[in-house]
Amino acid sequence: MSGGTRGRLPLNEANGGGRFPGFDVVGQSKHWDDVTTSVVLARLGMPPDIRFFSAAEEATASALCDQLLGQRQEPRVPVVNMIDARLAENQTDGWHYEGMAPDRQAWRDSLAGLNQDARQSGHVFAQTPWPGQSAILQAVLDLGSHQWHGMNASRVWSLWTRYACTAFYSHPWAWEEIGFAGPAYPRGYKNPGVDKLEPFEVADAKPDQDPLRRGES
Amino acid sequence: MTGVRDRNESAWLLPAGPGLNHRLREDMRAFNDGDEVDAVIVGCGAGGATMLQRLARAGWSAVALDAGPFWDPETDWVSDEAGSHHLYWTEPRVIGGDDPVPLGSNNSGRGVGGSMVHYAGYTPRFHPSDFRMHSQDGVGADWPIDYTDLKPYYADIEGELPVSGEDWPWGDPHSYPQRPHPVSGNGDMFLRGALACGITAKVGPVAISNGRFGNRPHCIYRGFCLQGCKVNAKASPLITHVPDALARGGEVRADSMVTGIEVDERTGRATGVRYNRRGREHFQRARMVIVAGYSIETPRLLLNSASHRFPDGLCNDFDQVGRYLMVQGAPQTAGRFDAEVRMFKAPPPEVSTEQFYETDPAKPYKRGFSVQTVSPLPITWAEHVAAQGHWGDGLRQYMSDYVHWSCLGALCDFLPQPHNRVILSEEKDRFGLPIAHFNYSQCDNDKALMRAAQSVMEDILHGAGADEVITIDRYAHLVGGARMASGEQDGVVDANCRSFAVPNLYITDGSVLPTQGSANPALTIMAVAARAADRLIQGSAHD
Ligand SMILES: Cc1cc2nc3c(=O)[nH]c(=O)nc-3n(C[C@H](O)[C@H](O)[C@H](O)COP(=O)(O)OP(=O)(O)OC[C@H]3O[C@@H](n4cnc5c(N)ncnc54)[C@H](O)[C@@H]3O)c2cc1C
Ligand code: SF4
Repeated sequence: MSGGTRGRLPLNEANGGGRFPGFDVVGQSKHWDDVTTSVVLARLGMPPDIRFFSAAEEATASALCDQLLGQRQEPRVPVVNMIDARLAENQTDGWHYEGMAPDRQAWRDSLAGLNQDARQSGHVFAQTPWPGQSAILQAVLDLGSHQWHGMNASRVWSLWTRYACTAFYSHPWAWEEIGFAGPAYPRGYKNPGVDKLEPFEVADAKPDQDPLRRGES
Repeated sequence: MTGVRDRNESAWLLPAGPGLNHRLREDMRAFNDGDEVDAVIVGCGAGGATMLQRLARAGWSAVALDAGPFWDPETDWVSDEAGSHHLYWTEPRVIGGDDPVPLGSNNSGRGVGGSMVHYAGYTPRFHPSDFRMHSQDGVGADWPIDYTDLKPYYADIEGELPVSGEDWPWGDPHSYPQRPHPVSGNGDMFLRGALACGITAKVGPVAISNGRFGNRPHCIYRGFCLQGCKVNAKASPLITHVPDALARGGEVRADSMVTGIEVDERTGRATGVRYNRRGREHFQRARMVIVAGYSIETPRLLLNSASHRFPDGLCNDFDQVGRYLMVQGAPQTAGRFDAEVRMFKAPPPEVSTEQFYETDPAKPYKRGFSVQTVSPLPITWAEHVAAQGHWGDGLRQYMSDYVHWSCLGALCDFLPQPHNRVILSEEKDRFGLPIAHFNYSQCDNDKALMRAAQSVMEDILHGAGADEVITIDRYAHLVGGARMASGEQDGVVDANCRSFAVPNLYITDGSVLPTQGSANPALTIMAVAARAADRLIQGSAHD
């Protein structure tokens, strides 16, 4: 597949991998405007150095984000560096819940909370084996809006997933995985409509991979 | 009726093709702080820019200060979701109440053009019933003006944006200056599903030019409307009102954060505004102060402008400032099809129905909702999927299915309530000013509307052939917080947007709206501002 030379993300077929064979987002970059191109291609370059997280927090955040996004092996989207850069620059949405710290502190507090949970099994979170990490996270999710280390669990969950998904799905490799062509200026789309493709788009090779139907089988 | 160009030349002052007229900015009139301008306007968004353009045309010396930048779409905006974070108002705010409303990207903009820079582009009118909700339905409030008072201004603004859409059968039936756009996969699914359910749905109304308008180009259907339209096809005041304002001698002063409104204790009149520009304090003198900073910043500014005469905040003698703030319940329901919908290949605003807008006596709730196409891009879509509890492998797998999904959004007519309000927090911003604390709690009627809207959207998507539907609860738009009323005990401004407490202080943004209906608010905000400007210019509102 042509995207392969650019390091397509590993994703096995059972989890939705290989649905858009040969779809190459970055190969279309000559059709993008300069300002957008520089913003998007920067995400493929060297990730920004970690400035906000301590080394220990970086380890916890890396394990957390790998779990949230199912990134088990290289190449990865450097999600933690992207989150760290936002927090270092305080590039948040500004608001915070009454009774919960602003995003930067909430990140630190919640990473500490994960280590506390992990300690019960004798590890820090980052060194907990994959299934143990998954179980800790599922337990946080299952708390719903109950308290978790003094915070509303669902708000912590939403903080994590918001930052993690924003970083991951801003990356051209992730777009290739979902059939999204990314920037569309100045070219635009000439062929909108049900089951209609642009010449550079690739049809889903497995249109019946409906997550619901697969869940039933 | 005069032609659009005769009353607002903006589209003809822009260069042919994308981009701004840099000449207009270079030649822009620049008032001095010490000049007593006829009017200083706080905020250059939907309400503020409309006001500026009207006043400048009438020959007033007027300057609009905006806390954000003077955008150049060519260099400052990108065709990318994550790269558009700078379009939002991201100063610190606290949210509370039983149902806190997240802010930021969801509902607040900054910079010249205001929130319309990244609004979707739906521009429906309010229904006549929205103006007399209390007398008709026994909930909410009545406006001190009627639909007919706004009607000519609706038509004017629809011409200036301009708006495209089918003939509109709901509310006060009307037609639009431009023909409807062709629809994409998402709009098509909505139309199919509506047909199958016996629901009337129509294409529009959107402030996206269908065809060339002045020098503005046609939409290229690239789907990044919520990231700012680099093409100049989608209307925002930056291209629809600011160019004409500048050409007529109005000034737009960007990067200027207004921190206080000064009132002369002796005369009781406003004398101008304090503002911070590039770290330095300034004071702009003015004969009249017009506030248009949107529903959170407008009440915050009033509360932060307390004085000896107004110890609890400017215009707050009756504890009305910041109250009756509203969001619309905006659940989004998505449906999965075996066919490829590719909802990102079009402007998100395409098709809507207002069939459920009015109170239905057969239902246990009052008022109603509208349904529209929304078409989230990948990051926003991932939020949808994550909200269903998917993460890890499940999330990736669900996301790989993106091209098969179609997505609708509802706007529920949440009722105005006194305890939904902005107050000042103990936290301060970088100017040392208390930040806004915004509390929101839904009432039972609000919750019932959310559920009803979800079930209609599910029906439509199933009707179109979806095998699975998922819903995320969201909230959109902000109006109220300094509402218009017939008396000073019930609101902050009168029918002409003049504050009850200070005769030369006006508010002309979304915060003056007493109710919101199920319509997106920008058109109404502009129409209210245009009407207030007319009143000012005619002198009928002069003290
Ligand atoms: C994602 C999104 C989609 C939307 N979609 C739609 C839609 O499809 N249709 C629709 O009708 N509406 C939509 N809206 C809402 C619409 O954009 C707003 O309702 C409308 O722009 C509000 O107008 P306004 O004049 O009250 O404030 P704004 O347009 O927000 O203008 C306020 C301006 O004041 C400035 N300001 C604030 N405080 C200060 C201060 N102290 N000093 C100086 N400047 C200040 C801000 O920088 C801003 O530019 C959407 C909004 C968002 C966020
Ligand atoms: S879809 Fe059309 S209106 Fe929307 S941003 Fe693109 S060109 Fe502008």
